[in-house]
Amino acid sequence: MNYKFQYGIVWENFGALLEGAWLTFQLGVLAFAGGLLIGLVGASIKSFAPQPFRFLVDSYVVFITNTPALIQIYFLYFGLPEIGIRWSSEACVLIGLILNAGAYLTLILRAGFLSVRRPELEAGITIGMSVLQQIRYIVVPHIAKSIYPAVANFFIVILVMGTSIGAVIGVDELTGTAINLSTINYRWLEYFSVIAVMYVVLTFVASIGLALFGRWAFRVKARIF
Amino acid sequence: MDRIIEQLPRFFTSGNMTLLLESAGLTLAMTLVGCLIGFFLAFVLVYLRQTPGLWALPLRLICISYVEVFRRIPFLVVIYLVLFFIQTISTDASLFTIAVIAICIYSIAYTADIIRGGLESVPHTQIEAAQTMNLSRLRTTVTIVLPQAWPVIVPPAIAFAVSFIKDTALVSQIGVFELTFRGKELNNQGYSGILVFGTIAMCYFLISFPLSMLGQYLEKRLATPRGERRARKIRRA
Repeated sequence: MNYKFQYGIVWENFGALLEGAWLTFQLGVLAFAGGLLIGLVGASIKSFAPQPFRFLVDSYVVFITNTPALIQIYFLYFGLPEIGIRWSSEACVLIGLILNAGAYLTLILRAGFLSVRRPELEAGITIGMSVLQQIRYIVVPHIAKSIYPAVANFFIVILVMGTSIGAVIGVDELTGTAINLSTINYRWLEYFSVIAVMYVVLTFVASIGLALFGRWAFRVKARIF
Repeated sequence: MDRIIEQLPRFFTSGNMTLLLESAGLTLAMTLVGCLIGFFLAFVLVYLRQTPGLWALPLRLICISYVEVFRRIPFLVVIYLVLFFIQTISTDASLFTIAVIAICIYSIAYTADIIRGGLESVPHTQIEAAQTMNLSRLRTTVTIVLPQAWPVIVPPAIAFAVSFIKDTALVSQIGVFELTFRGKELNNQGYSGILVFGTIAMCYFLISFPLSMLGQYLEKRLATPRGERRARKIRRA
């Protein structure tokens, strides 16, 4: 192997990589937030709504979870302009990821909803809790405890696997920036090893933040490692 | 819309369909080979990770950090790293090999955790009993721990492999002729994007959905906890 690593050029462009990392983080958070909203609605429908709605949510979940996110984003980016819907590449990635995250989070949240047992709600009514109090003291702690680790893990998946798909259709997030920069001077190995480390650092920060938040808000012991 | 209807007969020709079938086969083969090799290597990794003793601490640290690091790097970045790293070593590696290696590296990191969970689910008294009988660590793992750990390992491992079929779509970026790449190619030939990517999505769905059903069936089948079954038998007698 006669390859000389030259990291100098990477440090010169480190600012651009940092900007890319910031966009990655933004995309990840927005996609996750949107997905959480869809997931809440979807899981509620799956749990409480009558049949036709449940079937709709089920088919949405099954279809999204069984097709690649990349194809969904290609569909939005290359397919939809034909019927007159033109979104920027950022918007396509974001919408694709939100749809994706929504389906997976529906499944996760639904499992959380199932973890609340009826006798506990009845016990809450017995000691005179209002509906809001029941939600605050019984429902939320239960759901949080059972699904917080899965949700936190999913955030990492979206942050890493999800947003990097954007690079394929030309979003300048971390991977996309690295591809752009390395096509200029062919320092692929250097750029990609550096962004790999950046991804690890980014997700570690996110993991630690989520674990602390979980401990503070729901007293859940989420694992970092 | 008219364009799609006009293209329909031209798109669904036997030529195009054989191309799609071929590339679907390639997608499946890639995932299968990569995940199988990854599965066995993950066993090795977990086995090394559980090496007891102080002298093996660096080894354990390496194994743990491998899993932690590769779970946190996007698959796309792994693909590019493997591609350009291998090209510095040899210039005649096929793209398929590179894709399989990338899939391997990635699936090791994910299956290692599944396997570790399975191995740790076996009660420790079993291992102690084996030690009392002076069985070596390898023999204990293979003949005593593994047979009991299978039902815990297999369903999530299959679920992982099935979900990974979808993630291999990213391999199209380096030019392996799998489903997604074919889709892009057909789209570039002028077929409507809605038609092409809709069809490709259906292809993935047809591959992934039955397999995930199979995975769920296996999970139900294998998940009956053994202890419970035994306890029931005893009570009946």
